[in-house]
Amino acid sequence: MQSEKRLYSILFFCIVGLFVASTCFARYNPFEIFFNLENFQAFIVDDFFPPAIPTGLKLKAIFQGILTTICMALSATSVAAVLAFVTALFASKRVSPIQKSPKFVRGFATFLRNIPALVWAFILFSSLGIGTGVGFIALCISSYAFMVRAFAETIDDISQDNLESLQAAGASFIQVVFHGILPSCLRGFISWFLYCIEVNLRSSTVVGMVGGGGIGLVLLSYLKGFKYNMSFTIILAIAVMVLLVDALTNYLRKELDLE
Amino acid sequence: MEPILTFDHVTKRYGNGVCALKDVSLSVRPGEFISIIGPSGSGKSTLLRSINKLISTTEGNIFFDGENVSALRGGRLRKNRSKIGMIFQNYNLVYNLSVLQNVLHGRLGHMSGIRGILGLYPEEDKEKAWTLLEEMGLEKFCYNKAGSLSGGQKQRVGIARAIIQDPKILLCDEPIASLDPSSAKVIMDLLKSTAQKRGIPCLVNLHQVDVAMRYSTRIIGLHAGEIVFDGEPESLSDSVLERIYGTSVTNLVAGTSDEKDWQQAYAV
Amino acid sequence: MTEAVIRRTASGKMRIDCVDKNRSAGFFLIGIAVLSTLGFLYLDIPWSKMLARVPQMGIVFWKLGHFDFSNFDLIGSALLETISIAVLSTIYSLILSLFFGMLAAENIFKCRVLSSAVKAFFTFLRAVPTPVWVLLMMICIGMGPSAGIAGLCVHTTAFFTRAFAQSFEAVPSETIEALQSAGASKVSVFLNAVLPSATPELVAWTGMRFEINFSECAILGMVGAGGIGYVISTHIEGYEYGTAGLAIFCVFAIAFCIERAFIWIKSKQRAC
Repeated sequence: MQSEKRLYSILFFCIVGLFVASTCFARYNPFEIFFNLENFQAFIVDDFFPPAIPTGLKLKAIFQGILTTICMALSATSVAAVLAFVTALFASKRVSPIQKSPKFVRGFATFLRNIPALVWAFILFSSLGIGTGVGFIALCISSYAFMVRAFAETIDDISQDNLESLQAAGASFIQVVFHGILPSCLRGFISWFLYCIEVNLRSSTVVGMVGGGGIGLVLLSYLKGFKYNMSFTIILAIAVMVLLVDALTNYLRKELDLE
Repeated sequence: MEPILTFDHVTKRYGNGVCALKDVSLSVRPGEFISIIGPSGSGKSTLLRSINKLISTTEGNIFFDGENVSALRGGRLRKNRSKIGMIFQNYNLVYNLSVLQNVLHGRLGHMSGIRGILGLYPEEDKEKAWTLLEEMGLEKFCYNKAGSLSGGQKQRVGIARAIIQDPKILLCDEPIASLDPSSAKVIMDLLKSTAQKRGIPCLVNLHQVDVAMRYSTRIIGLHAGEIVFDGEPESLSDSVLERIYGTSVTNLVAGTSDEKDWQQAYAV
Repeated sequence: MTEAVIRRTASGKMRIDCVDKNRSAGFFLIGIAVLSTLGFLYLDIPWSKMLARVPQMGIVFWKLGHFDFSNFDLIGSALLETISIAVLSTIYSLILSLFFGMLAAENIFKCRVLSSAVKAFFTFLRAVPTPVWVLLMMICIGMGPSAGIAGLCVHTTAFFTRAFAQSFEAVPSETIEALQSAGASKVSVFLNAVLPSATPELVAWTGMRFEINFSECAILGMVGAGGIGYVISTHIEGYEYGTAGLAIFCVFAIAFCIERAFIWIKSKQRAC
């Protein structure tokens, strides 16, 4: 109890210190926002409302944008999941047939994971050109890195014991994977996969904004053209899309009995 | 009779400097039922796992069925492992699969290629699994998930999985440590009868000295990785027990092997 | 008890799988595979064109690997700015969310309408990606770190409010009732009973969000707010890969340190 209290007071002072230092550095005044209140009001009332109702070609563009964004998120996550599953076998300390591989694979995944998806997108844009393909690969990289770690931990957590029994019976590496890991970890994998889809749907919108295509690009073009009414409609559309997908994944979690 | 398993001055040192086995030499002949007793951390588990190379040893050689286990790798190691049945404290079943599938996992070592990957076992293996489960009294549960069984039933599945391998030796790592007294007795009886019927030698790690006395034909006492006793259960005296466990006998729940004490031992 | 019967397939082979097998996972996987393939085909990515440019990608990575330290002061100050934005947005949202989380938790004010309304509002805010909020803030209050902080705050507050409300609701009702029966007001119940018992979870959530906020900050620059993202995007666009590579490496290094630090704090928490 005493050490817990000490930990929290140390954390508290660290936070206060960071807060003061950052405020000094960024010269941020939280009340600044109130000076701009008029601006906000004008912006919201005059520019944003009412949301424009898209017709004809515009409506089609929005729908296509949303469809592209969803397709990008879904297929990128699936491709990443398959690759991550294979890699995770070599990242797990219990299963890996090569003794030294977990260290290297995990280090590699950590490196990929700690660079945001958008940075990957920018690096790839500069070499491969702008387009949905590059957005797809950028999403793949970041979710791949995330899932390698998540899958490897699932394998280490769940199947520790029953792998030993299969190995003791003389099963080969591939047999252990199909008869031990897959049956016992599949649900854990699916749970992470659904989480990744949620995350990727948001990032695919953002990656779209810088050139990956999809609804993000549509939104940015309207924002840059000062067409705020239409932008508001698109923001609402994005929110609805995200909420619907979240509801769907939650439904699937219940249906698949993952909790 | 020729020994089926021989330990020749085996030593195991872990990376952190802990010495789990110190210069262990022993041999096992067919038909023997050997209990290994000793306090926690005395190297019992390491001893068993070094036989099928789930843990590799540092020095010395282990000969099983005419082959040097320490030198085996890859396919030869798998082949060797398929001749060794193993039973675990935590049953180590895949709980999402059916009881039959779990038993048939014992045949994986004999299969290769795509049939092994997809689990397309030969019909005779399936029939054999069924008869084995009948012998264990579990035929009603064949198509249930392994996770839905009770502890004693799970361990019976574990025994069936080991037997279906047609093993030349059975290794049991604390088979009754997670069970209640009555299931423990059932499991020990079953283990002894199945092994004797087939003439398979058994190596059993045990915490309970009375159980060891009751079932074994030979007892090995381990202390800090060294064999301090190797002989008949009858010659296991109090002073020997003190040497194995490093504490006075009054602190151990051990004694004669009549029914009352047997139950008391479990109650503690 | 029913008699045990061997189940066989139509061709007479013995079946070995479970009777009450849950096939939903299998159907799910097939469904996902089909949808992903369709989605992949819909995207119609020109792979051959991209493959042709792969050598160029190698060159870019090669150039990124050659760090150019001449602009290090620029990178350093941009990095500090990014960190400040991340810290400030996390802390302000933390304070705001303690308040909103209190409103949203069902076991404190015991007013279902209030908590549902608060939750619904923040669910909407959370559904819109952070960069969109930052862009909107930039339109309102102009370029610079303030817009970044305000925009990040919107999303972070929404995230925290839901997370905190969950943690508050997990506090056992006996704890709350004990203080209520002693005559404490709702706010003092919150401060004295709910908050202390939820602290470990709050620390975990904050740590997790701080990691996310840092990487969000790093990308905000790319859509126009300041900080390290701006440095990365302008230097990549200007073909100054050495500087960009160094900046990306710095982002990685700091994200890695933050991750390690919170793993350390979590292990300390568990040890307590």
